[in-house]
Formats: sequence, C-alpha cells, structure tokens
Amino acid sequence: MSHSELASIFNKNEKKVDWHDKALWFVRHKRDLSVHEVKGWEALRNLGHGIKAHTLSNLDNYLIEFEANAIKNDIQVHWAADGDEHNRIVHNIIKESNGKKVVKSKSMLTEECHLNPFLEAHGIEVIDTDLGERIVQLAKEKPSHIVLPAIHKNKHEVDKLFQEHLGTKPCDGDPQYLTGEARKHLRQKFIQADVAITGVNFAIANTGGFVVCTNEGNADMGAQLAPVHIACMGVEKIIPKQEHLGVFLRLLARSATGQPITTYSSHFKKPRKGEKMHIVIVDNGRTEQLSRPDFRTSLHCIRCGACMNTCPIYRRSGGHSYDATIPGPIGSILSPGKDLKKYSSLPFASTLCGSCSDVCPVKIDIHSQLYKWRQIITKETPQPFVKAQTMKIMGQMFSKPSQFERVGKAVRWSLRNLPKSVINSKLNTWGKARDLPEGPKQSFDQWYEERKNNQKD
Amino acid sequence: MKVGLFIPCYINQLYPQVGKATLELLEKLNVKVSYPSGQTCCGQPMANSGYESESIGACNHFIDNFKDFDYIVTPSGSCAYHVKKHYDIIPQTEDVINVRNNVYELCDFILNILKIKDIGASFPYKVGVHKSCHGLRGLRLGSCSERVEASYSYIEELLQHTKGVELMPLQRSDECCGFGGTFAVVEEAISVKMGKDKIKDHLESGVEVITATDTSCLMHLEGLITRNHQPLKVLHIAEILNSNL
Amino acid sequence: MNSRDQILAKLKTNKPKLIDLPLIETSIFRDEGLDIIKEFIKKVEVVGGNVLEVTSNQDVINKIESTFTNQEVCYSHIKGTQGFNTISLETIQNPHDLENLDVLILESTLGVAENGSVWLSDQEIPVRVLPFITKHLAVVISKKDLVEYMHEAYSRLSGFNYGVFLAGPSKTADIEQSLVIGAQGALSITIFLKQ
Repeated sequence: MSHSELASIFNKNEKKVDWHDKALWFVRHKRDLSVHEVKGWEALRNLGHGIKAHTLSNLDNYLIEFEANAIKNDIQVHWAADGDEHNRIVHNIIKESNGKKVVKSKSMLTEECHLNPFLEAHGIEVIDTDLGERIVQLAKEKPSHIVLPAIHKNKHEVDKLFQEHLGTKPCDGDPQYLTGEARKHLRQKFIQADVAITGVNFAIANTGGFVVCTNEGNADMGAQLAPVHIACMGVEKIIPKQEHLGVFLRLLARSATGQPITTYSSHFKKPRKGEKMHIVIVDNGRTEQLSRPDFRTSLHCIRCGACMNTCPIYRRSGGHSYDATIPGPIGSILSPGKDLKKYSSLPFASTLCGSCSDVCPVKIDIHSQLYKWRQIITKETPQPFVKAQTMKIMGQMFSKPSQFERVGKAVRWSLRNLPKSVINSKLNTWGKARDLPEGPKQSFDQWYEERKNNQKD
Repeated sequence: MKVGLFIPCYINQLYPQVGKATLELLEKLNVKVSYPSGQTCCGQPMANSGYESESIGACNHFIDNFKDFDYIVTPSGSCAYHVKKHYDIIPQTEDVINVRNNVYELCDFILNILKIKDIGASFPYKVGVHKSCHGLRGLRLGSCSERVEASYSYIEELLQHTKGVELMPLQRSDECCGFGGTFAVVEEAISVKMGKDKIKDHLESGVEVITATDTSCLMHLEGLITRNHQPLKVLHIAEILNSNL
Repeated sequence: MNSRDQILAKLKTNKPKLIDLPLIETSIFRDEGLDIIKEFIKKVEVVGGNVLEVTSNQDVINKIESTFTNQEVCYSHIKGTQGFNTISLETIQNPHDLENLDVLILESTLGVAENGSVWLSDQEIPVRVLPFITKHLAVVISKKDLVEYMHEAYSRLSGFNYGVFLAGPSKTADIEQSLVIGAQGALSITIFLKQ
C-alpha cells in the first residue's frame, strides 16, 4: 500500500493521531530548548556537515585506515556487500563460538538486513535488549521510529503484551513497574548470552575504535558480559579522527531527545582479555547512493530521528505508514535509492515544508532531495495516466495565456453556478472535508483591464 | 525603479481581491507598478508533483514576462521561492539569472527594498500569523523555530506597525498547515488533519483573522473553516496592510 | 574480487572529488563567563544524577554509608577505602559474578560541564561491566578535572582500550514517553566533587 493509504488508515483513530503527534512534538520541543543552550549551534551543524562531506569524499581510504587500526587492536574485520552476506557473516561468527543465545542492542542496520529472522531460522535465540525494541519484538512488529521504536504503542498495549510474554501482573500500564519487570527479564538474557551484537554510531579511522550510544546501558550490558561482541556498521559510519566525536556527540543526543548527551557513549577499541570482538562493515546499497550527486548527502545521517519528530506528516501518519526500515523524511530519501518502485510514494509524503532540513544536525537538505526524487519517480516508474495527462495539459495551458484565461473563466463559472453537491462529488478529493472558494465573477486580469480602460476615460 | 507585479495563477482566477490589494498597496507606497499582461503560472504545481519537465514552457513564459524589471514583486512567498530555487531547469541566461535574483515576496520588498515599516494601515482585530513554509524556510522571511538565530519576521514586523492589530501567539509558531500543492489531494487525510490542527491552534489563541504571505495556505484553511462553520476569517497580508478600518 | 575489494573499488569510483576537512575552531563555542563547576553540577542534575561535595575519600565512604544503608555487596576502587569492600575482584572468575553488586565507587579524571558526563576508561574500571551492572554508582572527581565541553574533553583523551562518557543513571522513555530511571544499567549515580 502507498503511504497515503496507510496514513488514511492510521487517521481513522483521531485520538491516537493526536497522542502520537503531541508525544513527538514534545520531543521536538525538548530538542529546541536543548540546542538553544549551545553557543555556536549552527556552526556545530556546519562542522557536522563538513566533516561528513569530507569523509564521504575519501571514504575508501578512511575505511582502509580504520580496518588497519582495528586489526592492530585485535578486532576482526569483515566486509559484506549486502544484507545476505552480512547475515551469513554474523551467523558464522556465532556458529564458530558455539553460540545459541544472542543479545542485541539497537542497530537499524541489522533491521535493514533482516538479521533476526535469519538467525532465528538457524535456531538461534535473538533478544532485542533496548526496551522499545523488545516491546516491538514481542509484538512481532517493526520499529516505527529509529530512536523511539515503540512510540506507536500505548502503555496499556505494553501492559497486555508483558502479561502475555513475561508473566507480569496487570498494572494499568504503569511504566515504572513495566520497565522494572523488563529489567529483570533482560538481566537474565544478558547473563545467559553467548554473543552480543551492537550497532555502531561512529567508527574512528585514526584509532580503529568505534562508539556506541545508548540511554539504557543495554549495549554495554551485552558486550561486557558475552564472550563475543559483534558490531555491525554501514560504510558511512566512519569519521576521520577521534576529535571529531566532540562535534558529533554534541549534536546527536540533543537532536534526538534533547538530552545534552546520551547516558552512555561507549568507546570500544580492544576486546576484553581473552574475548573476541568483530566488526562487520556493510555496503547494502550505500556505495550506489554515494554515486548519486543529488542524494549522496543522505549518507551524512547520524540517525538522530529529529526529522521524524519535526515532520508534521510523520507525526500524523505514524512510522509504519512508510513501510520502510527507516521511516520519516530521511527514510523517504534513502529508501527510493534501494527500490524506486516500492518506495515511490514516499517522496510525495511531504509538503516540502523544509522543517526536516532545518532540524537536521548534519544539514542534509532533505526536502530538496524529496523534490528531486519526485522528478525521477515520475519518469522511471509507471504513473497513473490521468495524473501524467493532467500535468501535460497544465504545462501547455500555463505556456499560453489565452488558454489559461479560458480555463480560468470556466473554473470560476463552475464554482459560482454548480450546486455544492456536484462540486464536492466523490471525484473531488479536495471537497471531502474542505470547501472550495466561491468563484469570483472577474479575474484579476479582467479587473486590471477594466481599471486601465476606466483610467483612460 | 521598474517594478513588475506578478500575480500567481490561482490568485488571478480565484482571489482577485488579493491581487487588487497588492497593487493598491504598492501604489499607495508610491511604487510605479507595471502588470505585464498574459501572465500564467510560475510552474510550481507541475514541478512539485514531479513533472518539472512539463513546467519548462511556464518558466520560459515567466522569464519573458518579467525580464525587463528591476524588481518583480508577488503576494506569494511560495511562487517567489519556486522561481529562485527551481528555475535551474532552464538555461541560465542573463535574463533568467536577473529574474531569479530580483523576484521578491511582498513583505520582503516593502521592508527591505522600500525600507518602509509603517504603512499607515489600521486593522482593529486579533490576528494570527500563519508562517507559510516556503516563505519562511525557503526565502527566510523570518527566523524559524528549528534554528538557533535572532528572532525576526517580516510579516509580523509590518503587522506590529499596523494600528489596532493585536498579534496572537500560537502554540506551534511555524508548523506547516498541510496544503502542500497536490499533497492536499494525494495525502488528503494528513493534509486535512494538519489544517484542522492549525486552525485549532489559532482558535485556542483567540485569533479572529488568520493572515499569511500565501493565499494557497489560506485557501486550504478557509476551505476547512467554511465547511466546519468556524468563527474565523482569513485574509492575505496585502489585504490587511491595504486596510484603513 | 572479494566483497572488501569490491566495496572499496566502488567507493573509489563513486565518491565525489575530495572535499576539504573543516577545522574545528573551538573559540566560537566558548562561553567566556561560564562557571564550569556550577554548570557541571547543573547538568549532572539535568541528566538525573546527584552531586555531593566531599573533602576526602573517607568522606565519600561516610556519605555513601549514610545514603545507601544496608547494602550487601559493595566495592570501591578509590585509594584507601579497602575496608568498604565486601568482595575482592581477584576472586571474580567471570564478570557475571558481579550480578549482585549493590554499590560501586570509581574515580574519574575527566568530567564535562556541558553535559554532566564523566569519563571512565580501562584505567579506572578494573572490570568493564562494573559501572553498568552495579545497582548504584558513585564517581569521585576533582573540580580541577572538569572541562567546559566535549572538544576540550577529547583533546585530553588518548591511550585507552575502552572508555565511556557516562551521564546520569540508565534510563528509558520507551513506554509512552514516560521517563523511567533504571533501565538496564545503574539505577542511580552520585558524583562526589573533590576540591
């Protein structure tokens, strides 16, 4: 289904839409308060943009440098061309260590590669340990937001879900109680885990280390207990030097939730004594996105989710209406690069209001890229005949003033003289909930002409 | 100073009063305004729908109409933005470059080119400003809430100098109204919901008249207000600045 | 060609012309009149931690014992406080054995005023899981070790194998956006500020 169809379904429950909108607007508001405290915020965004742009322009060399340093630090480095290869690599590492139980902290990359179902099909237990991700995992759903994965669920749904799966007592959706029970449940999983998988927020070329940010502490609870740590990253996660973390860690949490920094910003450089650490570097369409000059800055993204929180469409349509791993504005410029046809409705799920571009901590011109994807989609994917013809006719009409005046006159006459029931018939989507303006007798052209003639007299 | 008046297609046909107010206002401010006849459209409706190529005829026609002016003034931030931002699809001749540089939204022109703040208008109502997105985040006609910058707003500055206007604050000062051109139809459910929320914000603030630099946003909001019989009026900023009530 | 070489080759072909790396000019971020200690205390509280001023390591122990009464499993890694410990790390075979740790005291040599975080690295954490697995975490830091912002913090960091900027107790807002302190990591953090 297209975004607009799924969004219409989401909008059948207006109360839920209002809640979803307000909850995310609140996060956007906290972000505003937080960034206004930072002296030089806009300069910081420019730096974030500049460092990422530079890195992408030298990405092959930085990856080589990163790999060499990581190997020096006893980290094993693997490369995966696509999601399948990524999954096979991860599975092989688990097999080699005789692992059966895996704990995983948040990684949008492993979502993108569909790692969980792959491992589960091979008889491996995978537990998502971020609370929000655990909630959607138990519900057999997908995250609807990259920072707040369960934002589409209310506390009563979580209450019911936990009763069913974790044997909790009914608690009228008490978040404190539910979080406490999840803590106990996840503690057991951390203690039993053979392998910990994490994502990577930043990988540093000049040290071979990488940084993982969480608020819950789940990445470290996994990685510091399990004998094997696998960190999965897209090629674009590289930054040149450790000092650049100063820029990105200042930008990330403030943009994401309004916190000055995430609770834990963990810098992994060497495995614990006697234990193993692996890094899987994944392409899966990223090198192709890099080849598109109009869209390559989409690879700057540091996954803060600010564009989702600010997007008036995302807030009112829910993350699942995008039917993509990364929803919202940034997802709508990334996804068409992967499958133009499947995601062809996403760049149109925007008013091009530009709020996403202004909120983005690394200054991706998201709304301009949405506009550019639209131009490509109408050329390269099948379009409804009526839409294409209408655009052609409009294009011709606006090239010729005489045609424009004739059509304008007809429209004005219709709006004045046709009964409302005809104007607002089913064929007129505009008229379902909105009136059209009264058709004025005179256009501005006619009035101006008349005035000119009167002035002459 | 040769000033050309650009009246967007939908204003020309559906809201001629906005065009009249713009012209009269500029004349009041002693600007000699020409209105080139045979204007159509800037091309935005096709381009934003993904049919930029179908808009080339409209773009060329626009350049032909306005190439001889020092300034091109229009009561639409959105159309001005489209010319500035997206006319890179036609060859960048000197005429095209000049037109793109010289096109101005009305408030921007009055404040920053004419350097006039007080027009001598009076309008004794509680006014809510809808900061249309293309004007705000495209043309930077005001500071926007996402960025850390000094606070300013051209439209509000002119309203502050209008006698009797009481500017009403909103909960969400610059959220989109949901019009978005063909978005209003393609994503009807969300568009309508955004519009309804916007109107609610104005109503809760005690606004009597919603104004904006763009009639397109106002057409969308008015459509909802009329359908739902809500106690609000919409007026383009030119109509308020041209008032002497 | 293996995937590594394939990816690198594609990157080489697809990347844009080299773009300059911008220099981080930190002076634009500096807030001249800022009281770093006051700001640090404020931000620790913003991120959900507590701050207490102390005069000595013994003072830390006294304050901990009066705040966290009847704790069974305690471990301190700061000088001259061995009497506080109920466990010995030498006997710990496996980090999992630390599961019941109630109170942990560590020392940090770097705190950041702009976000209330403290840096803890391998040099200060004898077992990496400690600051996460403990119920309550106490971190002792000298006022002279506080810096204004992250740029300054990174200019002081080198030579660690693992390290974490830790800001406040573990937390989540994943259930209906309600902030709950104590997700998977420590339930509380107290920062002890030394002269």
